[in-house]
Amino acid sequence: MPEDNWSLILQIFWIIFFIMIFTGANQRIQMKLWSIDIRNKLNMIRRYVEEDKERVSNFMRNLGLRNPELVLKKTLDFFTIEPVTIEPTDIIKRMDHLIRTSDKSFREIVKKALPSLGRYERSLIETGLSIVSAIYMVYKVVRHYLLTGEKENNWILLMQLELLMPQILKIVTAYHKALDAFTTGKPVGDGIGPLIAYRLIEEGEVVSKRVIDETSIYEVKLANRRFFIIKAEGPGSNVGHPGRVLADLVDQLNGNVDLIITIDAALKLEGEDTGEIAEGVGAAIGDPGPEKIAIERAASKYNIPLRALIVKMGLPEAIQTMRKEIYEAGEIAVEYVKKLVDRLTSENSTIIVAGIGNTMGVPL
Amino acid sequence: MIPLTGQDMIYYLAIIAAIGLAVYFLLETSRRPKEPETETKELLKCIKCGYTIEKEYSVGDFIGLVKDKCPKCGSPLKIIAIYDVVKKTPEKTLKPPKQYT
Repeated sequence: MPEDNWSLILQIFWIIFFIMIFTGANQRIQMKLWSIDIRNKLNMIRRYVEEDKERVSNFMRNLGLRNPELVLKKTLDFFTIEPVTIEPTDIIKRMDHLIRTSDKSFREIVKKALPSLGRYERSLIETGLSIVSAIYMVYKVVRHYLLTGEKENNWILLMQLELLMPQILKIVTAYHKALDAFTTGKPVGDGIGPLIAYRLIEEGEVVSKRVIDETSIYEVKLANRRFFIIKAEGPGSNVGHPGRVLADLVDQLNGNVDLIITIDAALKLEGEDTGEIAEGVGAAIGDPGPEKIAIERAASKYNIPLRALIVKMGLPEAIQTMRKEIYEAGEIAVEYVKKLVDRLTSENSTIIVAGIGNTMGVPL
Repeated sequence: MIPLTGQDMIYYLAIIAAIGLAVYFLLETSRRPKEPETETKELLKCIKCGYTIEKEYSVGDFIGLVKDKCPKCGSPLKIIAIYDVVKKTPEKTLKPPKQYT
């Protein structure tokens, strides 16, 4: 090619380049590319929503509901307004009240639609509906920001969304895959706390059992000590109210408790291994506040040592069917709890162990 | 046909390199690590002799369910765990065909 032609091409290129820089056309092209990419990912989330709606509808239909679409419509847009935070007085009480009212109302919708169904099946439907509702909410929020960004030519908004989309998609995919476990009743990774509690109950000699507020309390004799083991009542999809129940139990025992141990699944940091066990101090519970504060208040009121044991896992592993590594970590954790108790307490001591998490697939 | 000059060659190489880099980055960013396929198993333990066996999960099974009999002592087996394991893919072997062994 003659040299003059090359120089002409280069000159045209530079002229176009400068025009684009000064008029902002390059940003518009970039915005369009981001917009297309976000739209593709949003379509993927929409497909998940449709697929999951269909699965939960079929699940309800198989359990005898003629028109599951009505229940879906009611629960998909169900919301809970957060309590006022600029006035912190009684915020825990208000939050607890709102959470309980929200749970109760959600359950009543399902109960009204399927009155003859058992609690176990109903709990699976409730969790299935919560999953679809969560994915649908993400879909609506992403769509809102995409359309707002396009309408107002807000490239910063679109750029932030584009950068966040892989993370959002990862979370949504995890929820989408979790539906399988929640429609079949298999134990999930988050259930490791209740599973450890169940194993301790099985190993000991059960003295008494009661269920308060969807939470089981087992008095067990183990290693010449008096254990009170708390877990959500299984085997349905249930997290119970372990904090409040534990606080009431400590009050009933007049604070004569030598040790409180909370066991829970915890989200691992990138680079950490699934199934890693860590010991610490404090209340290992991931609720919005009311349950955790109840444990902390009970322990500090009577000056009881509060220990925590966590089993690490990623978000997908926590909400999907329990992985073998997590089960094996649970077996190690059972021994860990026994050693911890042996180290920190003497014989005839009273110990409270709370297995925190969703007890789906784990009985008692 | 006009012969290519040295400068033309540099331009062409630069264009090819630019396209190559663009394709490489596009493939690199769109490639996602493939998640391994999993299957659900259940671990059964003999109530009497403690013998354990891993079986395929059946819908409706739950932890604590007593099912099947111990192949060793004939006592009932109890499900002690239900979990997901990574599906094993058949290993590719480089064994020679039978007629050569």
